[in-house]
Amino acid sequence: MKGIMKETRKSRVLIAKVGCDIHERGALTMLTALSNAGIEVIYTGRYQTPEAVASAAVSEDVDVIALSDHTGSLPIIAEQVITELKKLDVTDIPMIAGGLLAPDDIKALEKMGVKGNCGPGTPIEVIIDLIDELVKH
Amino acid sequence: METGEIKFDRLAGHMVRTATQSGIELKTAYGPDDISHLSYEEDIGDPGDPPFLRGIYPEMYRDRLWLKSFIVSYATAQETNQAFREYIANGMTDLRLLCDLPTQAGIDPDHPSAWNSMMCGGVATYALPVYEEMLDGLPLGEAVFELAHAGMSSFIYFYGLLVAMMENRGMDIERLRGNSINDPIRTKLVYGCPDFPTQTDRRICLDHIEFSVRNTPNWRPVAPNGVDPCQGGMDAIKELGGCLAVATAVMDDLGKRGIGIDEYGPMVFSLDAESDFFETIAKFRLARKMWAGIARERFGAKTNRAMQLKIGIRTSGLSLTHQKPLNNAARVTLQILSCVLGGVNSLDASSIDEAVGLPSPEARLFNLDAQHIITHEANVPLVADPLGGSYYLEWLTSKMESDINAYLDEIDSLGGIFECLESGWLNQVMESCRAKVQRERTEGDRLIVGVNAFRSEDDEEGPINEAIRDVAYKTPSVAMREERVREVKRFKAGRDMQRLKTLTKDLLRITREGGNVQRAVIEAAKAGLTLGECVGVIRLGYGIEYDPFEQIGMPDFIRELVEE
Repeated sequence: MKGIMKETRKSRVLIAKVGCDIHERGALTMLTALSNAGIEVIYTGRYQTPEAVASAAVSEDVDVIALSDHTGSLPIIAEQVITELKKLDVTDIPMIAGGLLAPDDIKALEKMGVKGNCGPGTPIEVIIDLIDELVKH
Repeated sequence: METGEIKFDRLAGHMVRTATQSGIELKTAYGPDDISHLSYEEDIGDPGDPPFLRGIYPEMYRDRLWLKSFIVSYATAQETNQAFREYIANGMTDLRLLCDLPTQAGIDPDHPSAWNSMMCGGVATYALPVYEEMLDGLPLGEAVFELAHAGMSSFIYFYGLLVAMMENRGMDIERLRGNSINDPIRTKLVYGCPDFPTQTDRRICLDHIEFSVRNTPNWRPVAPNGVDPCQGGMDAIKELGGCLAVATAVMDDLGKRGIGIDEYGPMVFSLDAESDFFETIAKFRLARKMWAGIARERFGAKTNRAMQLKIGIRTSGLSLTHQKPLNNAARVTLQILSCVLGGVNSLDASSIDEAVGLPSPEARLFNLDAQHIITHEANVPLVADPLGGSYYLEWLTSKMESDINAYLDEIDSLGGIFECLESGWLNQVMESCRAKVQRERTEGDRLIVGVNAFRSEDDEEGPINEAIRDVAYKTPSVAMREERVREVKRFKAGRDMQRLKTLTKDLLRITREGGNVQRAVIEAAKAGLTLGECVGVIRLGYGIEYDPFEQIGMPDFIRELVEE
């Protein structure tokens, strides 16, 4: 069944930025790279609220939420978005995070179930494999 | 222990490129024929003489070294103040001021969208008392400041706070020294700042400049910025072309307010020191020449002063890598050297740990020491423009000049830089530059050491790299953020509401009448109007919704004013 799904429907990823982080280059690079890899990508743009990200994830029916942030606040942002998703009764959209990540941030994110944590310079193929893996499961 | 045949490649590490970082194809050598079209007097000239290609002062660094600068911007006012003190003791001569990201976007810490980036990238400088604490003990009128913020609201407000502090102490504001970036294109192109729409940005920009020209002659109120567009993807041609176009548009607008270029005085550009060594040097020299030409030919500059361009630098943060951060020391050092060889006036070097986190104090001191070593041990600044006359450099400078002129013609034919921003054309240019670099990196035509080349097999880092990673500055805790929200609420509740209301009313009225808001911002800020409220009131005055994020309503005292 899953094999058929994969042929008929492209993977859908929401790249999201929450709050006032101005650093957009990572998100834009991923937007291009994932599109080139045949993934359907929706980018929220900057200055979003956690509510807006959660609601976009649901209405766009995405397979993965990819949070991008370069302020060192990814654990805070992930927690906020997870809270908003729960309010919408959504607990099954996997989340990954990319940007500025200290070792402690990665630990905190993994605890919340955010498994793919991609620091600066992570090769794009690694991220694409990660998304493929998450979509398959 | 490894055994067996050793693989040996005599050509290991050979070059993969024949073009500069911006894609200018190069020959293997240059000679007199390549620069025979240039005249020394007209195209090059002595240091201190127009067109200032070789520098704006005859004696250059013997007379005065470049200002050693960087953004000092930690989570709290106390930390930032202590850091200023330490860096000044170590030779810092130019203080770049910034604030946290929500403040740059035009909102206060108690705004719901401020929470997750609050105190990131700097202090939440929402009102005058926070600025006073952050700058405690710094001699206003002696120290040189740069306002390096993203949002256009920041320039009018924080310049306003500097003026307010001086006036509150009975000081003559003519003594205020430094500059504001105040670039209405970069704020939208790179940052998409939500504080004001572009047309408002454009007017606020001019209000700040006009007030400054008339009241603080040692302040340069606009410094078209190439650094951030460059970090966003623009190559050197489009970076410098963009700055020239912004400066031209702003001087055109200023002319309509009755301020000519001789009254305005020297221009400042904020440029990027990129990794390509000679292209970066050529760019700095050329920037001075091209601005001198525009100042004279388009704006009729009569004085040398009005033809001069001062260059403030930020070295490329984007060139620094998260992998093997020690390598960043080599990158930063080369970029600093290119600045000195290019004759810049102020230099903000990125820190070797910048791709890992906010810069640590030790990495900052390395930046200062690298500049001291270049000065005192390598003796680089002893002679002005030491590379002047190099066949390659002069050819490259001249080639870039034609490329930039072609780019400027294209912008003109599309209706000017503001039209190019509003139509999305500039964004497309930046995006296609960015995509080209990405493609070159993926295909191995652009090697980044430790990232897509020269990676160690096992990817294990040694103790030096690990240490750099460990000391990088960490972001503020949830408890610190909560305290900041409580603090701003306390501050707002403790103000003299009658005085605040009167002065805010003036700001609203002047904005509505289309007057210059700078003086009204200064007075309202003295009475405690916060950055977020100031943005809201100006927005209301221009007939747009109070909150840029459309999440909160206006405070009661402002609602009362609007309803009056």
